[in-house]
Amino acid sequence: MITITNLKKSFGDRIITNGLDLSVEDGEFLAIIGRSGEGKSVLLKQIIGLIEPDSGSVTIDGKDITQLHGELRQEVFRKCGYVFQFAALLDSLTVFENVGISMLEDGVEPEAVRPIAAQKLIDVGLAYDVLDKYPDELSGGMKKRVGLARTLMLKPKILIYDEPTTGLDPITVRLIHELIKQTHVATQGTTIVISHDVEVFKFATHVAMLYEGKIIYKGLTKDIWESDNPYVYQFIRGLADGPIKQLGIVKEG
Amino acid sequence: MIKNIVNDLGSRTVKLCNDFGRFGVFAIDVFAVMFSTKLKMKKVLEQIIYIGIKSLSIVILVGCAVGAVLATQSYIGLERFSGTQFIGPIVFISMVREFGPIFAAIMVIGRAGSAITAEIGTMRITEQIDALQTLCINTHQYLVVPRVVAGTIILPLLSLFCSVFGIIAGYIVSVYLLGINGEVYQETIRTHTELFDIVNGLIKAVVFGLLFSLISTYKGYITRGGAKGVGIATTQSVVFANVTIVVTDWILGSLMLK
Repeated sequence: MITITNLKKSFGDRIITNGLDLSVEDGEFLAIIGRSGEGKSVLLKQIIGLIEPDSGSVTIDGKDITQLHGELRQEVFRKCGYVFQFAALLDSLTVFENVGISMLEDGVEPEAVRPIAAQKLIDVGLAYDVLDKYPDELSGGMKKRVGLARTLMLKPKILIYDEPTTGLDPITVRLIHELIKQTHVATQGTTIVISHDVEVFKFATHVAMLYEGKIIYKGLTKDIWESDNPYVYQFIRGLADGPIKQLGIVKEG
Repeated sequence: MIKNIVNDLGSRTVKLCNDFGRFGVFAIDVFAVMFSTKLKMKKVLEQIIYIGIKSLSIVILVGCAVGAVLATQSYIGLERFSGTQFIGPIVFISMVREFGPIFAAIMVIGRAGSAITAEIGTMRITEQIDALQTLCINTHQYLVVPRVVAGTIILPLLSLFCSVFGIIAGYIVSVYLLGINGEVYQETIRTHTELFDIVNGLIKAVVFGLLFSLISTYKGYITRGGAKGVGIATTQSVVFANVTIVVTDWILGSLMLK
């Protein structure tokens, strides 16, 4: 279970999370929605420890990661997997080396890692022959699949996806969503997805909306279309008029 | 007006102290990882080849040029008081104590140091370093330690090559262009130099290797601001590393004055 309490983070004068509270139960599939530039990625990176919060706590399975250091902190993060928006594959390594990097760095022989990496690629719908390709030889969708395969090598209990369908065509978006759903079912873990795409509501069990540094709504996905929260109403229907202020846009007239 | 200047000076001083502090913490972290985890020998060897072997030709070329210039300029000075027989030891001592280590370091900073910063900086801005962290891989062990170890090992060797080829070039210029007796060139080297001259140069080269590799990796590691940020970090890395090496050279030279 993940519990975030009074999380605050600013970059200079810009407040990103402003006393944010959120809890995610084990096995939950949570979609986090919000405007572009709202700080959704920063929120996820605070959960995974890539960005240190200014104050507040992030508790994963009862352990506050903001108070942990060294090996104890690593132990908690081993339960978490993070799939980056643009995959963040190591471009000087082959697909095999990217997928198998955690085992290879632990000193496991490449011959032993290769079949495991190949199986992970098959699990995410890629053919065995991409193993020896470099990331720049892959399409955007393939890179995201490789990124997921790399994350799955650690068998994470909590899987976090940062806008997994950005920049992909509608067919690939659908396939990636299916893959995320299948992975959630297969791992029986917790899944958190940031997405602008309401298609993700078909798979998520819960939806939370981030607005001005706080979670202003969290509920079951099946209830979201009936929500009377004006911010949620405007956002999920993509309406231009409503209470949501557009970041960095000045209205004419 | 004066208030603004004092303010500006103050904020720059604070920033400089912060930068030094962060670099110090980074260096301590790197040493802690270096001595507490298993060294990845394959990665160290890859870096030795990249930093060292691929820089060898340029280091030898510069060493030859410096040795030749040194012999020619020494000849001009020494001829005025009939001391041309001392060209050998002058070239030898200058090369092994001073020019070998410093020119090898400058060449390696320009060729490999800049590339190290650009590579790690690009990894930083494209979230590759973040990805390594989420995979529970120690990024200092993976990215920094192999480069620092390789830089520290390889620079003394490159410095030796630079010095040896400088001395040989000095010999060729002295004997075949300036008419100095080859036997005298060699004999005066034997009688007027000591093993400590070589040790002095090697100590400098080890320190230069450590400093340039730490600076190059650090500047890459803290890169921010996209492609422009990588360019800025690379330029800063080369400038800081060169300035640090020259200042350190003077400090070490003063400490080991004999």
